[in-house]
Amino acid sequence: MLGSHILSWVVFLPLVGAVAILLTGRRAVVARGLAMLVAVADFALSLVVLARFDGADGGDQLVERAAWLAGGKISYAIAVDGISLFLVLLTTFLGPLVILSCWRAIADRVRECMAFLLLLQAAMLGTFVARDMLLFYVFWESMLIPMSFIIGIWGGERRIYAAVKFFLFTMVGSIFMLVAILYCYFQAGSMAFSDFLALQLPRAAQLWLFAAFALAFAIKVPLFPLHTWLPDAHVEAPTAGSVILAGVLLKMGTYGLLRFAIPLFPQALTTFGPWLAVLSVIGIIYGALVALVQPDVKKLVAYSSVSHLGFVVLGTVSLTPEGIAGGIFQMLAHGLSTGALFLLVGVIYERRHTRLIEDFGGLAHAMPLYASVFMFVTLASVGLPGLCGFVGEFLILTGTFRSALLPHARLLAVLAATGVVLGAFYMLWMYQRVFFGPLRHEKNRGLADLTPREWAYLLPILVGILWLGVRPAPLLERMQPAIERLLGPVTRELTVDRAPLQQAGGARLGTVALQVSDPLEVE
Amino acid sequence: MPAVADASLTAQFGALLPYLVVAGGGVLLLLADALSRASRRDHLYLLTVAVLLGALAAQLFGPAPERTALLRGMLGGEAYTQYFNLLFLGIALLTATFATSVFERAARYRTDFYPLLVFATLGMMILAAATDLLTLFLGLETMSLAVYVLVGGQRGSLRASEAGLKYLLLGAFASAFLLFGMGLVYGWAGGTGYADIADGLRGAGGNLLLLRAGLGLMLVAFAFKIAIVPFHMWTPDVYDGAASFVTGYMATGVKAAAFAALLRFCQLALPELGGFWWPLLAVLAVVTMIVANLVALAQDGIKRMLAWSSVAHAGYLMLGVLALLATGRQGLAATVGPASGGAVLFYLVAYSLMNLGAFGVITLLGPDRGEEADRISGYAGLARRQPLVAASLAVCLLSLAGIPPTAGFMAKFYVFGAVVKAGLVPLAIWGVVASLISVYYYLRVIVVMYMQPAGESIHDGRSWETAFATGLLALLILFLGVWPGGLQRLAEVTFRTLAG
Repeated sequence: MLGSHILSWVVFLPLVGAVAILLTGRRAVVARGLAMLVAVADFALSLVVLARFDGADGGDQLVERAAWLAGGKISYAIAVDGISLFLVLLTTFLGPLVILSCWRAIADRVRECMAFLLLLQAAMLGTFVARDMLLFYVFWESMLIPMSFIIGIWGGERRIYAAVKFFLFTMVGSIFMLVAILYCYFQAGSMAFSDFLALQLPRAAQLWLFAAFALAFAIKVPLFPLHTWLPDAHVEAPTAGSVILAGVLLKMGTYGLLRFAIPLFPQALTTFGPWLAVLSVIGIIYGALVALVQPDVKKLVAYSSVSHLGFVVLGTVSLTPEGIAGGIFQMLAHGLSTGALFLLVGVIYERRHTRLIEDFGGLAHAMPLYASVFMFVTLASVGLPGLCGFVGEFLILTGTFRSALLPHARLLAVLAATGVVLGAFYMLWMYQRVFFGPLRHEKNRGLADLTPREWAYLLPILVGILWLGVRPAPLLERMQPAIERLLGPVTRELTVDRAPLQQAGGARLGTVALQVSDPLEVE
Repeated sequence: MPAVADASLTAQFGALLPYLVVAGGGVLLLLADALSRASRRDHLYLLTVAVLLGALAAQLFGPAPERTALLRGMLGGEAYTQYFNLLFLGIALLTATFATSVFERAARYRTDFYPLLVFATLGMMILAAATDLLTLFLGLETMSLAVYVLVGGQRGSLRASEAGLKYLLLGAFASAFLLFGMGLVYGWAGGTGYADIADGLRGAGGNLLLLRAGLGLMLVAFAFKIAIVPFHMWTPDVYDGAASFVTGYMATGVKAAAFAALLRFCQLALPELGGFWWPLLAVLAVVTMIVANLVALAQDGIKRMLAWSSVAHAGYLMLGVLALLATGRQGLAATVGPASGGAVLFYLVAYSLMNLGAFGVITLLGPDRGEEADRISGYAGLARRQPLVAASLAVCLLSLAGIPPTAGFMAKFYVFGAVVKAGLVPLAIWGVVASLISVYYYLRVIVVMYMQPAGESIHDGRSWETAFATGLLALLILFLGVWPGGLQRLAEVTFRTLAG
């Protein structure tokens, strides 16, 4: 039954589950149970994808293609490669954990909530695997509706403002992308991604098209100064929404940049690449500084995302194999560690209904296990070697340092590195104020430590964080061929303009990323 | 173009049967209305449904449409006509269904609604099929006169009477423009048939000023009926004042009929419209989209909001027409014409589905709510009280906003695609900017329905027919959003029969 349609199953199982829940889930228990079942099954299916994936092949695998519209010029085409695969896995991995996390927190309209979560999951998975531009766009836009419903219905005080802002911001970017896609469609004669890749567009056209694509992705990342929707959306969203937002949705932007904007319009990168790099470095430092002064833990974590995602963009536009591998790795690491941070904030919010740092202090006395888990995740987030955060940041900084594309690459790398320091500062300072010192508030004295349900959704992430940190090599090895494949044509095309890139592109390609893939060795 | 030879009488009879059924049915309904007691009005509904279904069957199972002229070149009998006749009959069927759910509960509506609805539908069918200036005028007036009465036909409602009168007066002006324009064109071409005009255009001799002025005046009348800025002023008041089901009928049927006639007319006078009038039309389309969407942002009443939204959609549709008209120039691929015409046809169907769905829900909830029924804030908490109805409305609104996977997105995709294909990228950008603005006000209703708690107790109407119909429309919208290919092919093939 699964046969050659395994990817379709992964994408559409949540959709089927959502419809089933809408039809049958009148009782909350049924809705939750069914959603959990579907999410776990989806994860299992995605493991089958992983097992069938050939890590040595950099091209698209498990390809499915069927004519859809316009006599097959627009097709239903999906596939995974070394870049998509792990994002798909991240999505399906977080799926059941998210559902488990809102088991108690969401008691109102459970059926709708579960259905929206699964719909969102289907749309996200579809976005990662789509290899037809219209299909991609449909999935991309479809994410908006369930996500803004989740924020708007189950969110906090200013949820409606946040939901509408999220919707409009994302829409602004993607609607220009649609025009760009249409333009390319008539140039290429088909919506297939591969035909878009084969296009030879004049430089002027590439600039406009890249701008349209990059705007959509930069808003989603979000890149400074387009980030203002993010803190609102994160703070107002329910825990489940924040986790998905931070864990997966933000990666859409960086994924799009990497998958579409750069390979399709490489010549535009010589113009826009440096600007993107500068903006991402500003984002790294700005995000960290703003996070530093936040009184609200959730908001602090939200701003830390701006900072972390800045690293990903920086690594991506460095156009070095290390930078890009680091970017992808950082997407995964950020998905896990920030996802876990939001879950942990949710845990304390469920108990105390506040997230202000000043309302806590000395929590380590009341909830020692919670405090240790929080410490673990905090360290992962600030990039302690041995945990997941380190590998990505290190590779990105290396890649940026060596980048031939970016002017003043070394300066940029150094500036970005200050972001790492600042990151450690705001995270650990927050940790100190929340967990150490005396228990200042009476209410915090009797707080219960982690429950088995909370352990159930935290533990897998903790294992993941550790595993990614200690053994990044298997992942990086599987990304490697795909990255080479992506960078090859891009660097070839750019060498016409910039000779030095040849050096960075050709000879060292493929060796560097693996050299540093084991952080323990590098130490 | 010599008039295509008339088909034999029997074949003509078969092709004319839908018109005859509708006309005869209308007369029958008038009689039945006069003879039956007021308490037994559901018989009228059933009779209306029978008439419309009969016409649908006659259209579907009648002789295959050919490129023949009916009645000595008065009506066109192509697949194009069939396409629109099916659309009009479907719209009328749904409108009658929405209306009957209201009639059961509120006595302030006039009983001659059903015959008038049928006559208006007849007018639309003639309008879409007209291949002669005379039949064009005949169709337009038959439709308009019936709709004037439908708008004003609420007993004791000042707003409805005002709306009816306003529509009548302004509509009369539009008709005058049309007649004057037709007169000029007739004077130039020496005949009223489209074939005569086409002949004249091929020669392109004589006083072009006469032709251009005539075409311009006729365009004014079309712009009035499809509600393009600056000929849209009547729209919000009339849409707001009329009963919701009538508004839904106007927003879909009248607009589709006017576009059907306009497309045929454009195809006929392609070089002149595409050359001389094109820049003005382009400006009007852009102004229409931007202005209508901006004004819609500020509306508190859902009907006024949808009225402005329908003006905006006329703007998007005009983009498709502009792409078609651009083919009158040199250097465009031959496929642009059918692609853009087909896109407009697709858009009209998608647009009718989503507007009918939205107005169906408004009708359904309306009658028990009193005067404040139309305020958007009254929809607060609807998702909790009637989840299925709220979901249907949400799908329709998202489709109007053009968000995938809905028919509205695919419709915009095809229209903007045709525009880009015709090399008019700036127009497409204006289009997406406009639809970006529109997202906010459609979303606002959804936000109110789903995210705000209900205020004081509101009595929503309930009616299973309407709920069922709107639910079906919502499913259809989603279906067309995922599998639009069939309808799109049909629309393009249909348009080709017009283009020849």
